[in-house]
Amino acid sequence: MMQNTSNSNQLDKKTLTKSFHRWFWGALTCFSQEHMQTFGYMASMLPILKKLYPKHDDQVKAIQAYTAFFNTNPMLGTVIVGITASMEQARANGQDIDGETINDMRAGLMGPIAGIGDSLIDGTLIPILLGISLGMSSGGSPVGAIFYIVAWVLIAYFGQRFLYFRGYKFGDQAVSFLVGKQGAAIRHAIGIVGSMVVGGVLASWVNVTTSLKLYGSNGKVFLNLQDKLDSIYPGILTVAVTFFCWWLMTKKHVSAIWTMLILVVISLIGVLLGFFNPGLSY
Amino acid sequence: MTISWFQAAILGIFACLCSNSCMAGQAVGNYTIGRPLVGGLVCGIVLGNMPLGIACGVAMQLVYIALVTPGGTVSADVRAISYIGIPLAMVAISAQGLNPLGGSAADLAKSVGTLVGTVGTVLYYAVATMNLVWQSFGWKDVHKGKLNKLTAVNFGWPWISHALFSFLPTMFLTYYGATAVTALRNALPMDGIAMKTLFTVGGMLPCVGIAILLRQIIGHPIDFVPFLVGFTLAASLHLNLVSVTVISLLFAVIFYEVEMARDAGNGSGKGPVAEGPANNDDEEDI
Repeated sequence: MMQNTSNSNQLDKKTLTKSFHRWFWGALTCFSQEHMQTFGYMASMLPILKKLYPKHDDQVKAIQAYTAFFNTNPMLGTVIVGITASMEQARANGQDIDGETINDMRAGLMGPIAGIGDSLIDGTLIPILLGISLGMSSGGSPVGAIFYIVAWVLIAYFGQRFLYFRGYKFGDQAVSFLVGKQGAAIRHAIGIVGSMVVGGVLASWVNVTTSLKLYGSNGKVFLNLQDKLDSIYPGILTVAVTFFCWWLMTKKHVSAIWTMLILVVISLIGVLLGFFNPGLSY
Repeated sequence: MTISWFQAAILGIFACLCSNSCMAGQAVGNYTIGRPLVGGLVCGIVLGNMPLGIACGVAMQLVYIALVTPGGTVSADVRAISYIGIPLAMVAISAQGLNPLGGSAADLAKSVGTLVGTVGTVLYYAVATMNLVWQSFGWKDVHKGKLNKLTAVNFGWPWISHALFSFLPTMFLTYYGATAVTALRNALPMDGIAMKTLFTVGGMLPCVGIAILLRQIIGHPIDFVPFLVGFTLAASLHLNLVSVTVISLLFAVIFYEVEMARDAGNGSGKGPVAEGPANNDDEEDI
């Protein structure tokens, strides 16, 4: 994007790093429902604009492009900030780029990046990391929590740093593979990993059981429902409850909070009928 | 177990750091300090009972393993879960005399934490709304050309929102809530209907968290198949999570190749030849 510029107005690594750090620490510090990441974006573009435009008036003019609404996945979205840094540099060096071009790029990318980032990072990477860490922390050990802190912070910091500089170096070519057919295939493949891992997390950590037992006239148990269910498909009740919650929220458009309240009612009825019994006493 | 003003204040500071608009940044604040597993570690250290803190954190983390905030809407607030819910759950478990590492302690933690986390969304929207004031300062600065002030708008002023809606609520709720939770022990016997229901719900709540994530990644009911395969690998074959991930990568590669092959077939116009086997593969896998 800016390879054939022979101007002196080039961004140095120090300025870019400063801009990246402002995004890393401040993408969402001044969050509101109305403007979301807009102020975080402006704050991280500030070092770039100051470096590129010596005159104060030009800086004020340039920042207008970043007053538009912005919100995306803040991790993967780092690449967009890097891309705008390279576009801004091109604009400052007199290439045919105006604020509108920059804004079209931002608006066009923030949706796909949010979708991929949410499913890749929140939906796949973090559940895997947390699932591993939970195993290491069972029994009250701090090892899993410390492992998560170290692993995630390193991935987040260096991953985002890489994305920022990749965005700066390659412009919007850096993410062209994420939109279009290849992007759809990647998203599908990530979705498979995410679904299977989440299934594994559910089976490893959640166990809904029934305490229902029917007694014969001689006082012996002739039906232990949980044993019967386990012989059909281990964990069938856990899957059933999860599917029920998914069905309520997706097909019936019930909110998460109401879904929880419905579970409270089901639990109460189940406890009254003797279907559920956590088996506790003082 | 009791919570002193000093301990409550430390929890309050962590609350400021972690929830949107997180003062420690998104990656370190929301995604690290805010996660219940990490919150459990912090609360365990602050309250002087690390095994119990971790156990509560693990239990709560299960409910919120997939805390996605699409478009900035939340169904739970991490500051309330991790720095109000976990401390109160720790006090409740101590008061009930439960084994901190047992399943019933975990179920109680989930119930208490989820209740607090859900009510805590009020704090999330309160902070976001108050930030509008600082943003209005910011717009004025932009129009007047005082660009240097944007740094204060983004990094400084939001601390006031957090002082009001993160620090103070966390401090007061953990300090006074601990007393209330302890008193609850006498009001609600463990083998009564209310507590049995509370524990049963606690055991089911992670299903809601998983379902929220499934809503993100599952469009068609047919997409449940990989989910069920992952479940079966762990529930019936007792594979651990890393093993499940490795197997899932194989399926991911197959699906990727199939989809790319199908696109290539369509693109070059020799549809039927290339498409036939691709579709067959697709159906077998699904």
